[in-house]
Amino acid sequence: MKTDAHERARKLIALEGPEALSGADQTWLAAHVETCASCRAFADNAAEMIHGLRAIPIAAERSLVSTTQMMVRRRALELQRDRERLWLVSVSCTAVTLFALLSAVALWRGFEWLGARAQLASSVWQVGFLVFCVMPALVAGILLLAKDTHLANHTGSYEG
Amino acid sequence: MNATACYFENAMAQESTEIARGLRRRDPDLLDRLIEQYQHRLLRYLMYLTGRRELAEDLFQETWIRVLERGHQFNDKYAFSTWLFAVARNLAIDHMRRKQPASLDGLLNDGEAPLDVPATGQASAFDMALRREQNEHIAAGMQHLAAEYREALVLRFQEGMSLAEIASVARVPLGTVKSRIYRGLSELEPWLKGAPL
Repeated sequence: MKTDAHERARKLIALEGPEALSGADQTWLAAHVETCASCRAFADNAAEMIHGLRAIPIAAERSLVSTTQMMVRRRALELQRDRERLWLVSVSCTAVTLFALLSAVALWRGFEWLGARAQLASSVWQVGFLVFCVMPALVAGILLLAKDTHLANHTGSYEG
Repeated sequence: MNATACYFENAMAQESTEIARGLRRRDPDLLDRLIEQYQHRLLRYLMYLTGRRELAEDLFQETWIRVLERGHQFNDKYAFSTWLFAVARNLAIDHMRRKQPASLDGLLNDGEAPLDVPATGQASAFDMALRREQNEHIAAGMQHLAAEYREALVLRFQEGMSLAEIASVARVPLGTVKSRIYRGLSELEPWLKGAPL
């Protein structure tokens, strides 16, 4: 008998189960096992191994399960809080954007009116408007930069 | 027969849909239930994959956190268990990559103690001893198999997964799954009666 036939038989034995073997394969395998003692022994051993594999009990301990459940609940709560915080930030950003747009229009009109009253060239009050709008961000940036530099120097003095 | 199969298929599809919906909502009660339901199967899979109970337990916890965080990625066209094992497998591989850049092979065969096999059943003392001894041999043999063979055997014979489901979890072609099962059993055979010389 060819070695290929034995290997084919063993592969089919290993794959046990109707979804893995076609009807023709099953018929061929049954006929082969009938006549081949070594493949029959492999089939018996395979059955024993599979039975053994299924019989090995590995159980999760109760404490592992309850700790995991607790961890998952805690993480779920964190994620929920993050989502709520994100929602709050999104709402705030939208509100700030809307307010900025409305106030920009109002300020533009105000500067235009002031420019007309003071009989300034339009480029002058427009530059004034721009400086007025940019000033808060500029001041905040400078303050933050100064704070960071101060902190870095302070930490550096501890490390050094 | 067909009606029964259809009934079970529909029930499974409905269950998957409900799980997917719950995971999208990050429903903690659903997760509690799933942890209870899959506790032994997941731990067993991870223990065979990693070969160490302690590591398996860490990965068990990480897997459920990942399920919570990535639950929206679960596709209800597939069985939840297939997705769960794939998540656990990816975490195990990530863990090994952090430890040392290696494939799944690195999970095993580094001189670890064989899996602890508890006593089983209600049989006679002799049968129990015999069964326990055989199980110990098989468990010891499993420890000496390459990780991919061990994974294939566990998913096939302990989890009862179809070849297609195993291919989906391990992300390999069907032919590779068949070959791994065959090679795994062939390499395990000498261990059936004790450690080979």
